[in-house]
Amino acid sequence: MRGSSDLTTGPLSIGNFVNLIRQTVKQDQLFQNQAIKGEVSQWKQYPSGHTYFTLRDNVGQMSAVIWQGRCSIDSSIKEGSEVVVIASVDLYSKQGRIQLVVDKIEPVNAIGKMEEALRKLKLKLHQEGIFDRPRKQLPLIPKHIAIVTGTGSAALSDMNRLIENRWPGLRRTIIGVLVQGENSVQEIVRGLAVARKLSEPEIASQRNQPPVDVIIIGRGGGSPEDLWSFNLEPVARAIIASKIPVISAVGHESDLLVSDMVADIRASTPSNAIERCVPDYNAIQMQLTDYSERIDSATIRQFSDARSRLKLLTSMLKAAPMAGINNAKIKIQKIAMRLNNSSRSIISQENSRIARLEASLNAVHPQRVLERGYSMIQNDSGEVLSKIKQLSVGQNIKMSFADGEAEANIVNLDKKER
Amino acid sequence: MKKGKTYGEAVTRLEEIVASLERGGKGLDETLQLYEEGAVLLKQCQEDLNSAEGKLNELRLEDIEKEITKD
Repeated sequence: MRGSSDLTTGPLSIGNFVNLIRQTVKQDQLFQNQAIKGEVSQWKQYPSGHTYFTLRDNVGQMSAVIWQGRCSIDSSIKEGSEVVVIASVDLYSKQGRIQLVVDKIEPVNAIGKMEEALRKLKLKLHQEGIFDRPRKQLPLIPKHIAIVTGTGSAALSDMNRLIENRWPGLRRTIIGVLVQGENSVQEIVRGLAVARKLSEPEIASQRNQPPVDVIIIGRGGGSPEDLWSFNLEPVARAIIASKIPVISAVGHESDLLVSDMVADIRASTPSNAIERCVPDYNAIQMQLTDYSERIDSATIRQFSDARSRLKLLTSMLKAAPMAGINNAKIKIQKIAMRLNNSSRSIISQENSRIARLEASLNAVHPQRVLERGYSMIQNDSGEVLSKIKQLSVGQNIKMSFADGEAEANIVNLDKKER
Repeated sequence: MKKGKTYGEAVTRLEEIVASLERGGKGLDETLQLYEEGAVLLKQCQEDLNSAEGKLNELRLEDIEKEITKD
């Protein structure tokens, strides 16, 4: 503890000690932004604008302050009123007094009445089937958005900035209304009526604009009472009456109001309303470009497929007669080969016949006869003499042997008797 | 959009056309028809995008109410 460590340097000053308590109290979540119920006593509003009172019940009490302008104070609050405050505990160091600093104060009966009216409205709308009715779809490309919201509000500048980011120059009509306070309900209802009017084609064409095709009704965050107009029946009815989609975008994510429940689309915040209804221009352009390129390339491919098929067919047609000739050539070659083969066998047959003939001819050749020991006798004129009567005594003859010739003279003839 | 197609319908049809062309196997006549239909739809979509552009009107409630009721 800091206190005990400080003991080493001597006693704490009372101011430091009180501040220590103050720090401790302010750091404890339990003592901050707490809803506390009690009865008002010693109610005193000072000329400075601050209001002091004591919040009490049978068990305890504590002094409380509402700083000037901190919250609206219901005029019905007076001595003895039952109230609920949202307050944080603080320690007023100068007096060492602990007190409640109030952020909101509501008379209990008023809250009760509003809650009761809301419950009844929800039941009524439920019984009418309003919550179950079919909701209208947003157009993919809004051509004219009507925004019903507070003029010059942070919510409006957020929406405008977001629209310019997503779709620069998107057509929109902003209908400025009060979004809180006594007159807000009436203004919101009138604003919605104007937006509905602008969605009628006749009115739109008179104004030389496309009809409004989306209505955004919304405002930024605030206290429940700031947002309460959006819980009231006239606003709900004005939303239900629209023939075009209405986006309700009131307060923060956690606020669920009747306007959210009856609208075609509930956006968590005004910025979310823009995200829901304004597409990203570049993304849409890219999508269209993608379609365009894919259609082009697929079509070109179809045509080039067809062209190459055509080419193939053409070359097949052109090749067709050539193929016939080739076939014929092959046929002829085959025939020629067969002819060749068969003629070769004929030739070889003939060859062997010739060889055989040669062999037998050889066998009877005179030379062979001479080789066997016979000799051949020819006269002077070369006639072969084979009979004795072809000879006469004194005649010259030529005798042929296997290895030479000789000349002889006939000296005697001796005819064989037959 | 002309011919009564909303932007959403046009985009749906464009997706069909792209898928059909990319699947292929169509006759040349049909391919050409799809291509032309796609081109017309793309043009319409583009016109649709352009028509979303306009001026920003920021009006006080009373002023715009007067403007509308005077017609």
